[in-house]
Amino acid sequence: MSPSPGDTGTTGPGPAALAVETHGLVKRFGHQLAVGGIDLAVPQGSVFGFLGPNGSGKTTTIRMLLALAAPTHGAVAVLGQDMPRSFRTVLPRVGALVEGPAFYPFLSGRANLHRLDAADANSPAGTRAARVDAALDRVGLTHAAGKKVRAYSLGMKQRLGIANALLAPRELMVLDEPTNGLDPQGTREVRSLVRSLATEGTTVFVSSHLLAEVEQICTHAGIMRAGLLVAQGTLAELRRDGREQVRVLTPDMARACGVLARLGLVPEIAVSVPTDDDGGLVRAPVPERRGEPADIVAALVADGVRVRGFAVEAGSLEDRFVELTGEGFEVVE
Amino acid sequence: MLAALAAIPVLIAVVVRLSAHVPPGRGPVFLDRITQNGMFVAATAMVVAIPLFLPLTVGVVAGDTVAGEAGMGTLRYLLVAPAGRIRLLVVKYLGAVVFCVAATLVIVLAGSAIGALLFPVGPVTLLSGDTVGAGQAEWRLVLVAAYVTVSLAGFAAVGLFISTLTDAPVGAMAATVVLAIASQVLDSLPQLAWLHPWLFSHYWFDFADLLRQPVTWDSFGANAVLQAGYLAVFGALAYGRFASKDVLS
Amino acid sequence: MPAVIGLGVWAGPLQATVAAKAPDRTPEQVLALVAQSRVDALSGTIEQTSDLGLPQLPKTGLGATAGAASWVDMLTAPHTARVYLDGPTRMRVQVLDQLAERDLVRSGPDLWTYNSSDNTVTHVTMPARGFKKTLPSALPARVESPDQLARQFLSAVGPTTRVSEGPQSRMAGRAAYHLILSPRTTDTLIGSVDIAVDAATGLPLGVTVLARGQEKPALQVQFTQLSLAAPAADVFRFVPPAGAHVQQLTLPQRPVAHPDAKLPNARLPDAKLPGVRLPGHMIQGETHRVPVTVAGTGWDAVIEAAAGTVSQQMLDNPAVAAMMHPVTGGRALSTSVFTVFVATDGRLFAGAVPLERLQAAAAAR
Repeated sequence: MSPSPGDTGTTGPGPAALAVETHGLVKRFGHQLAVGGIDLAVPQGSVFGFLGPNGSGKTTTIRMLLALAAPTHGAVAVLGQDMPRSFRTVLPRVGALVEGPAFYPFLSGRANLHRLDAADANSPAGTRAARVDAALDRVGLTHAAGKKVRAYSLGMKQRLGIANALLAPRELMVLDEPTNGLDPQGTREVRSLVRSLATEGTTVFVSSHLLAEVEQICTHAGIMRAGLLVAQGTLAELRRDGREQVRVLTPDMARACGVLARLGLVPEIAVSVPTDDDGGLVRAPVPERRGEPADIVAALVADGVRVRGFAVEAGSLEDRFVELTGEGFEVVE
Repeated sequence: MLAALAAIPVLIAVVVRLSAHVPPGRGPVFLDRITQNGMFVAATAMVVAIPLFLPLTVGVVAGDTVAGEAGMGTLRYLLVAPAGRIRLLVVKYLGAVVFCVAATLVIVLAGSAIGALLFPVGPVTLLSGDTVGAGQAEWRLVLVAAYVTVSLAGFAAVGLFISTLTDAPVGAMAATVVLAIASQVLDSLPQLAWLHPWLFSHYWFDFADLLRQPVTWDSFGANAVLQAGYLAVFGALAYGRFASKDVLS
Repeated sequence: MPAVIGLGVWAGPLQATVAAKAPDRTPEQVLALVAQSRVDALSGTIEQTSDLGLPQLPKTGLGATAGAASWVDMLTAPHTARVYLDGPTRMRVQVLDQLAERDLVRSGPDLWTYNSSDNTVTHVTMPARGFKKTLPSALPARVESPDQLARQFLSAVGPTTRVSEGPQSRMAGRAAYHLILSPRTTDTLIGSVDIAVDAATGLPLGVTVLARGQEKPALQVQFTQLSLAAPAADVFRFVPPAGAHVQQLTLPQRPVAHPDAKLPNARLPDAKLPGVRLPGHMIQGETHRVPVTVAGTGWDAVIEAAAGTVSQQMLDNPAVAAMMHPVTGGRALSTSVFTVFVATDGRLFAGAVPLERLQAAAAAR
């Protein structure tokens, strides 16, 4: 059901090899359904944004990908091998930041990384010091490597967590909310880090509840809602699936609504735009292409609507997200 | 915690040094011998430490093994490393046993050192009334430390199992220590005589058999078998619990 | 149940079934075997357990029970002792208490006792003859060997006792015959006495006393380990440890009245239960003549000690008082195999009989 490790990286005909693949993945805690049967497909080499509001089952899914939790039903394959059965061969090739960083506060950042690296019995001890220092350097923590973690800020801990994921060359990085607690500068650094990982060929699986973050760094995305994967694909695919929208700027808002309704659209007055003498904004999603947009303008004008502005806009990922999850989105300032 | 354990013999020695006279038959066993021979400080400290201080510290260490990592969140990173669940349990248990060794040795060595410092040291009277040289006596004290370590090994396995049940290390520690107390209380109730040979604390005080002449090894053997049984049962329970546990901390 | 422990428990019976069975012998032949038995040297471990229906004192954890409570402890708590024997004059008994030990060492004319809990030594120089009758009852080590105890029971075998034989078993790793002594009278509390006899040497290995109508042994003394090789010589060498309090006891050349020795019924089982020599313990001034009389013979005999011979101090001891309960005409200590009754006028009655018989004996005078 999943490609063998030998297939990884080959780009032959047919669908691209998948770094993460799940089939009917279900996780139940008692009576509560956390993940309700999802089929995740993360292509190799992609930067996959795993989107969803808090509590939609993102972290639970990630825990199952990393063999921390066992699926109630369904199958998980990571880097082409069954999980959790093959965790011993899969996990050394996976770097992970799961639900925030966690370290021994009484040890230095460097000592923490040494200890975590030594936890894998197969990690080469000879190169450990060099790998730890390289990872610290990559996240810009070299200057604080000797400090005890209890003295670290939240952002420094987050960087140290990412450094832990970078201790060895990885084929897959799983980053759960990697920019949490980071200042704008840190957030930019994480973005450039993800891009550089992607250029090196690493598949990056980033979970986030911040849409802007995903839009800026991801090639693919999946959207979770209440334990279900409601959409996944490339960003372009997701946007394309979103409906187009007409926007009419006019002082005759009520009349414009009437005309649009007659044309079979579902108009609404955008309350977010303040109404003044110049009028307000009426918008309506276009269910499917109905002739030329110019015909809509003609109909409006014919009915005496004073059109000050008109536009047909492609659906934004934000609209798509709101449409799919029925929830508002936190917006990055 | 090792420092706290080392403080027990030091405290005993200093108090005895400062007090004028210790009447025989009062207080912990061996207390009245200390002024004559400093080697009894370690033995007295062991008698004092066994019912509470050793189970307390070992319970804290054993209860913290898995629950402590879970509580800090480091458990998920160890498992993703991947440490391997069985290996993690084994390493954690061995860590607890190493603490048991260190804890008992600290009591014996600190007791011997402070005893030699504050009191005369010489041939030691065993429980049987026979006298052995100081070197042989120190060797017997090390044997006692080994005996007590074995005594605590089964208890540490119980703590390991409890530690896999929760993500709250304090709860696991408390439950483990409470079990140690409960086991000793049950062992002191004659109505439950049938239960006594099965309690992990049953042979704790029989380390004294190593201070007889000739040495009785029966209790050492019975204790080792009992503790091995506890290790097998609670090790298996800990494995059964932890191998399939969802790590959600 | 822990699997490893379970295996350990199973191993014993399995070994037992493999071992060869000793030749069958009639009870008379077994009795003769005991009578002919000559075991001069041994080292072994003796376990004594009792279930007399008395409240057991909880262990304190730190150290052995000391002082007046110790003999109460002896009656109720299980005990382990190691015994070493080499010839008629060399012997060592070690009562292994928790964190303590009571020793009795005899080597030639020297008899030493040592009590580790108060670090005291007693030294007695034995007269050349009559040593057995003059063992001071103040000895700290009061566990009797199965051998001595069994011989006391067997010496009492007479017309009042029925002797039968139980199935063979293994005890201390040795094949053993079982003699069952049953009182013919129903007036005694004792149901039966089971004596295990080593098939090879005739040495009694264990004694089990069953109270009438009880399944669990009221008292059990048996070897758990036994070796008939001579113990190392230094086992019998005793030098008082430095710092110990040494008490020298001198014995008169002529044996004098020891209460147990003086009793005409000294061979009666009830007066000879190990650690249960209540009259001897409770009577003051053991070197004085004690007015003790015995009514009846055999299993249902009643001992009477005159008023004033019982130490009030002993009776007021909290450990003793806790076990005595007020009854019509005085106070009584009732166990499953013997009863002690102290009348209000101070007379003491004891026997392996129900309390009513003691009360009746007290009322008869």
